[in-house]
Amino acid sequence: MKKKVFIGLLAVIVCFTVGGLYLTNTFQRTIGMLQNIIVLQQMEFQKKNLLNRLETVQTDLLLKDSPHAVDITLFMQHVREMEQELNRCTDCHHAPSMTERINRLREETETYLKGLSRAYTLKADQERERQELNETFTRGDSLTGQLNGIIVASSQTVAEQATLTQDIISSTRNIILLLVTAGPLILVVVSYFFIRGVTRSLSVLTAATRKIKSGMLQYRIGEELKDEFGELASSFNEMAVSLQEQYNKLQETERLAVVGELAAGLAHEIKNPLAGMKVSIEVMVQELALEGEDRDIFLQIIHEIDRINALLKSLLNYARPPRPEFVATDVHRILEDTITAARYSLKRTEKDADYLKKKIAFIKDFDPDMPDIIADPAQLQQVFLNLILNSVDAIDREGTITIRTRRLPDDTVRIAMADNGPGIDPEALAKIFKPFFTTKPHGTGLGLAICKRLIEQHEGGAITAANNPKGAGVTFTITLPIQPGTRGGNNEAQGQNLSTG
Amino acid sequence: MWRHAGILLCALLLIPVLQACRDRDRPEMNGPEPGAKKEFIIGIVPEHNIFRQKERYEPLALYLSKKLGLRVELRIMAGYRNVLESIATGELDAAFLGSFTAAAAIRRTGAQPLARPQYPDGTSTYHGLLFTRKDSSIRSVQDMRGRTFAFVDRATTAGWLLPLHYFREHGIADPEAWLGEVYYTGTHEDAIMDVLNGKADIGAAKNTVFAALAEADERITNELEIFATSPPVPENGLLACRDVEETLRMKLREVLLAMHLNREGRSALDTLGVTEFIETTEKDYDPVFNYAEEIGLDIGSDNGNGSF
Repeated sequence: MKKKVFIGLLAVIVCFTVGGLYLTNTFQRTIGMLQNIIVLQQMEFQKKNLLNRLETVQTDLLLKDSPHAVDITLFMQHVREMEQELNRCTDCHHAPSMTERINRLREETETYLKGLSRAYTLKADQERERQELNETFTRGDSLTGQLNGIIVASSQTVAEQATLTQDIISSTRNIILLLVTAGPLILVVVSYFFIRGVTRSLSVLTAATRKIKSGMLQYRIGEELKDEFGELASSFNEMAVSLQEQYNKLQETERLAVVGELAAGLAHEIKNPLAGMKVSIEVMVQELALEGEDRDIFLQIIHEIDRINALLKSLLNYARPPRPEFVATDVHRILEDTITAARYSLKRTEKDADYLKKKIAFIKDFDPDMPDIIADPAQLQQVFLNLILNSVDAIDREGTITIRTRRLPDDTVRIAMADNGPGIDPEALAKIFKPFFTTKPHGTGLGLAICKRLIEQHEGGAITAANNPKGAGVTFTITLPIQPGTRGGNNEAQGQNLSTG
Repeated sequence: MWRHAGILLCALLLIPVLQACRDRDRPEMNGPEPGAKKEFIIGIVPEHNIFRQKERYEPLALYLSKKLGLRVELRIMAGYRNVLESIATGELDAAFLGSFTAAAAIRRTGAQPLARPQYPDGTSTYHGLLFTRKDSSIRSVQDMRGRTFAFVDRATTAGWLLPLHYFREHGIADPEAWLGEVYYTGTHEDAIMDVLNGKADIGAAKNTVFAALAEADERITNELEIFATSPPVPENGLLACRDVEETLRMKLREVLLAMHLNREGRSALDTLGVTEFIETTEKDYDPVFNYAEEIGLDIGSDNGNGSF
């Protein structure tokens, strides 16, 4: 559009310049023609003047011998004035036919002048003197006749020129009028169309934004807008798409949150009746002297109730994690504790004999420069224990679990736990932190989800999982800020403070 | 940088404005300033036609105006004798006079000769001619009987005195009686042209005018025959009237004699067809006085006005 405006401006400037030049040229021409007419008129005047002077001289000649004769000096002055006028006429004329006539007039005037001189200087008898005078006078008359002819001819020319000039002036005036009215008019029309185009595009965009505001996120600008507006329209559409996606995501998140809340609420409510049930059954077991299979059945019921309780606890743990209590935490100490706990659980005699058979080495690679971080130590321990136990589960018989800590330059710390187990299927890896996702036959699928929740409660914290590039196994990487909030991490919706139940 | 460009532009725009103002302020410079200058009137005899005379002497008048600091005015006379009248009445301060009128002026009015022009060939005199058409049969006084004679003026040497002398020499005491018609053209030019055009059979005029006309018109040389010439007399010179004061007279003479030394003077001399002015005294007019005596004419008397 910039180009259009620029081209438009250029066109206007060109038009103005051309118009201006044309006007200037026309004015020059017209002024020239008018000046020409003035000159022609002046020439007419001069010719009339010449005629006057010629007549004066003729009169002087006639009166030469009368009592009213003029003195020779005055006479010569009259003649001189006549000559001057004649010269002026010759200087002016351009037209060849006219110049020819005037030249002839000049030649004859020369002879006339000689005759005039004779008339004054001749001293002879009256007859001869009279004869000379008449001859000269006649010549003067002839000159007068010629001059009149010239005057008539040229006045015709002047009239013609005047008419011609008038016509040209008229037509020029009309053209100028046309230009002067058409010019701005065209400008206005062009501007109007241009502005209308812009306004239309703008109103389309404005209408679209209003639609979005009113909630119609599926609205897309269908019209093809011109130039930059087109770009704006497609950006707008992309924005609408993005908005819609985010809205959908938000909706889903809300839904999940609501569901989560319901579930938590439900779980909480279920706990009581469940406790009641468990107590009742235990009483029953005490009271009734059961034996053998019957006792087993009741114990099984209690066992199942315990299982439900555990599940509910995990669920509640996930849904309403306790608010973290931030203190300065020595990460290494927690890790040591966790490793100790893990080692102990390996040695412990359990129903599952599998544990005894596993031989797992714990390798510690701790950053000596590790600071205390502001975190909730209990939650961290829970997370570390979960991860280690996962790794233990993953390892079949023998394996290594490496725990590496590093302090990073951006005021965060990184804790990486790697095992050399079989690794995780890439498809599963994507969903591993999702709640209720599990690869274990008896898993709740909430463990890692809880870990993620707890870590992310530390503002700026994150947890990721990846298969080891070389060799086998998985590495879980936890990133925590030294000071929560300094890295501007995502802020999960705070769960309600929950008293552990 | 833009400011400098702006200032330069303004300066450039001022130039035409200043130019326009300047043109307006320039005073009109046409001709000599009319002022409270004294007049000095010089009379001119009609050697050529009166308009031509004005043209010829005009540059000289302007030159003298400048040099003398006076308003020099030319007054062309209708006739040779009119000049004498005007000198006598004091109308003129000076005059360019033919040799005859000069001699008469010297004798009658006490005019003082100052200078006379010199031609490119070094001469400063002229002589009279008698001429006729080649195809006329006139070759002697005898053939002139009853014919038409065009004189110039009774107060000219070439145009009257010398022909008169010629007639006397050849035994004719009264030319007017002998000839058929006699008239006076007033100018040498007309006398020559009249014979050429057949208006008169015989004419008398001065050789300088004859030569000038011959240069312009080859018919003069082709068709006219000169059958008599006279001895030379001084060319038309400037004489100052008696009443002109000594200092002015001296200055005028100086200016004339030095005229050929500067460009402007030379240009004015050129228009007259001469190269310089030379000193002239009463002595130079002796030939005229002698001729007049020979034919019994008394120049000094007052009947030079009409009854020669």
